[in-house]
Amino acid sequence: MTNAGISFYEKLEKRGVSRRDFLKFCGSTATVLGLSSAMVPSVAAAVEGAAESGLTPALWINGGSCTGCSESIAQATYPNVADIVLDLLSIPSQETIQMATGEYAEQAIEASHEANKGKYILIVEGAVMTGLGGNTLRVAGKPFIEELKTLAKDAAAIVAVGSCAVDGGWVRAHPNPAGGTGVSQYLASESIATPVVNLPGCPVNPEEITAVVIDVLMLGGLEKLVPKLDKYGRPKYLYGQTIHDNCPRRGHFENGEFVYEFGSEEEAKGYCLYPLGCKGPQTKRRCPITRWNDQTSWCVESGGPCIGCGSFNWVDNNAPFRGRYRRVGQGVFGLQGGGVEPTKLAAGIGAVAAVGLIAHGFGMKAAGRIGKNAHLETETVKEWDAKHQKKQGGA
Amino acid sequence: MANTNIVIDPLTRIEGHLRIEAVAENGVIKDAWVVSTLYRGMETVLKGRVPTDAFYVTQRICGVCPTSHGHASSMAVEAAAGLTIPNGARLVRNILEAAEFVHSHILWFYTLAALDYVNPAKALQANIADTYALAEAAGTKTADFKAVQDRLAALVAGGDLSIFSNGWWGIDPVKNPAEADALYATDMPAELHLIGVAHYLEALEMQAEAARIMAMLGGKFPHVMTSVAGGTAWVPTEEKIDDLLYRWKKVRDWVWGAMVPDTLAIGGFYKGALSYGGGCGNFLAWGAFNREDQKAENRYLPQGIIKTAEGLTVSQPNVSKVKEYVEHSWYASPSGLNPQEGKTKAISEWTDKTYDLEGKYSWTKAPRYDDAPMEVGPLARMLVGYLSPENESNKAIKGIVDYALGKLGTNDPTVLVSLLGRVAARNLEAALICDWALEWVTELVGVVKAGDAKFFEPYEVKDGSGAGLWEAPRGAVGHFINVKGGRIDNYQVVAPSTWDLSPRDKSGVLGPMEQALVGTPVADVEKPIEAARIVRSFDP
Ligand code: SF4
Ligand code: SF4
Repeated sequence: MTNAGISFYEKLEKRGVSRRDFLKFCGSTATVLGLSSAMVPSVAAAVEGAAESGLTPALWINGGSCTGCSESIAQATYPNVADIVLDLLSIPSQETIQMATGEYAEQAIEASHEANKGKYILIVEGAVMTGLGGNTLRVAGKPFIEELKTLAKDAAAIVAVGSCAVDGGWVRAHPNPAGGTGVSQYLASESIATPVVNLPGCPVNPEEITAVVIDVLMLGGLEKLVPKLDKYGRPKYLYGQTIHDNCPRRGHFENGEFVYEFGSEEEAKGYCLYPLGCKGPQTKRRCPITRWNDQTSWCVESGGPCIGCGSFNWVDNNAPFRGRYRRVGQGVFGLQGGGVEPTKLAAGIGAVAAVGLIAHGFGMKAAGRIGKNAHLETETVKEWDAKHQKKQGGA
Repeated sequence: MANTNIVIDPLTRIEGHLRIEAVAENGVIKDAWVVSTLYRGMETVLKGRVPTDAFYVTQRICGVCPTSHGHASSMAVEAAAGLTIPNGARLVRNILEAAEFVHSHILWFYTLAALDYVNPAKALQANIADTYALAEAAGTKTADFKAVQDRLAALVAGGDLSIFSNGWWGIDPVKNPAEADALYATDMPAELHLIGVAHYLEALEMQAEAARIMAMLGGKFPHVMTSVAGGTAWVPTEEKIDDLLYRWKKVRDWVWGAMVPDTLAIGGFYKGALSYGGGCGNFLAWGAFNREDQKAENRYLPQGIIKTAEGLTVSQPNVSKVKEYVEHSWYASPSGLNPQEGKTKAISEWTDKTYDLEGKYSWTKAPRYDDAPMEVGPLARMLVGYLSPENESNKAIKGIVDYALGKLGTNDPTVLVSLLGRVAARNLEAALICDWALEWVTELVGVVKAGDAKFFEPYEVKDGSGAGLWEAPRGAVGHFINVKGGRIDNYQVVAPSTWDLSPRDKSGVLGPMEQALVGTPVADVEKPIEAARIVRSFDP
């Protein structure tokens, strides 16, 4: 336990975070969690309680990653959020920031593993590299998959941060020469049943990680989060609606006001990016609400159409990003229930993948926003695009 | 397999996965192997996709320098299409890229490297009043030093050091300060350690502020969304430019007010590091930040080749002289190809003998220029700029480098070819780029006021090939594309790490980082912090 004997608010003040700033932080966390402002005091109480009662040990390991998710976490600093979260978690090993190196870094992991068996949270960033018997990624002189198995078996729960850890991300994209896959998929194949919380996205959103940690504190235990996960192991409150559902450009979509060329007059007016390939309508994520880098902006706001980096197998399913093509079910989800019900879901993975994508990603048809004749299961060109062939952005 | 007595694996506080093996004799490294331990297959994944997708996918090579890969990728496609982007887009890209450089350099110096020079345990012994006096004397920013010290004290007293646990300074830094001390500059006052820790904490916020600039222009960081081939999808407004200016000024003031003076103050206690760690002595820069003519030979950070063995002179690079060798890399594709025609095919089987320091031992290829290894990165860029014919860039670079040399008590630029030179070059470059970024924002105001600014140029590329030669914060980056029938037929990337972390080549010549390790003094082979400093100085 750190800072024994000092009250939480004293600690905050010491690091230049006012009570007001702290409540603001709790407010934005409540927003990410989809809670009303009436819940802000409960968020604050949960953080305060946890900070005073001790640390939750967490081990962070990097698979086949670009370190973008670690980078993303480093961007969550308002107001000193990183500090607050560091106060809730004891992270003796995080390759990108930890002081120790080499053997000493391994010892730090090992010591925490031994001391906290069954209690620690294992955070995995990056794809699980299975190619060449796991030798496409070696850490400390052995295949990374060996370390993953050892630490996964004894973890209270696993949080897969970012698309690579969830389903292999771009690393698994066809033809996947290095054997990258997702944590829950890999653990299912090794019959390791530790629950996995999946937070897809490339990168993961730092505010959303913070929100999940705080949600667990409010619930009073990681196991209580499980009912709030969808069948892919994702917290429903983060992955329940499409980007399109919450997009500020949505009014223009409904009015048929579109941007057909980057940097054009229409873009200056903030029209809808659909013709340029926006995958907002089929991507379930909270980007328009959570936003990025201290809520500075997000993809669509800056003029970049959503490429659906939070969808499963996003590179194969969503490319070409600039076109309006659909390739339902061509990719394999690579997701086997996020550890919630791994065996059950593993059985019907192919069917689940196709049904899931159609039911979730293409809710537009049900909502009457697409012509009734559109055959979502098989179409490669949408009805809208067929009518506007000349008006699509470069594919 | 060679008998090594130093192994560092995992080498932490870097981007990616790295293993170092070395042999030390009488306290000096005699031989070294740099081992990249991860293969993800980016180039294979790109084959067959449409060229416009490369911008999005290739950024995912590196989460610390995605913007540079995105830019190089868009430039490769533009080269294949024979396209020049509009001036407005050039400025927006410069400003976006500048934010990545500054973000990355701040993050590198404080978060990734400083803990090898600054000992948090030692900061506990600092006298607060003396710390203020020292900060003033060093011309660096003050902070609430008392609060920082209290915070550290609480961390140590609590017994859970979190990310600070198991540092080089031993298992218990509080009980064994002397042992910890031996690994740092013994004469560096505790007060300077405390200043370093205080700025380490501020740096977290400042690198995030620089990243927010990227988020403004690119939607988010990491992995920006707007610098697509043809220009940019971001359209400026007066309000957005105001916001940009405000953020850039804040970052600029901090870099000049804390990072530069900290570098010189701490560097003053590590002057020994001017005498080793220089490496291969060859430098390559493709250059970055276009001027209005968008000519590669006229960039703010100039392009050039230097071979110090042939004297301190710079020549213009020719990309056809680049070849990649795989004799010591885990690839089965042909060796010695120019990347425009390059192939990347991993070995197909792994046995007990596959990891072999005398044979293949790394996932990095060995790129060579004119058959010589080349160091890339800020040191290469600062030296190239310093030695370039006189122009505005050369004057700015020479000005700040000479100033720093003076502070370190020398006027001899050759000392820069060293560990300390490599560290200083990065931080001085950050300061220069901040100033340029403010100029570009002002220029952008002019372009917007003029009224007819364009930010995107439509194009089509069915068949063609081209290269995007550019710089990432950590060094020269090249993206090479061949397009056939509107699809990517071949895509190759030569990343900065490929140059610097190169294993031996066909002739057995060591890569730049390997050469930098050779000759490095190591006080304790069990805790080879000097070797780690060398490796991290490249920002691998
Ligand atoms: S298509 Fe994209 S830009 Fe348009 S409203 Fe939907 S999410 Fe927003
Ligand atoms: S808006 Fe789309 S592309 Fe952008 S981060 Fe969210 S899911 Fe990814």
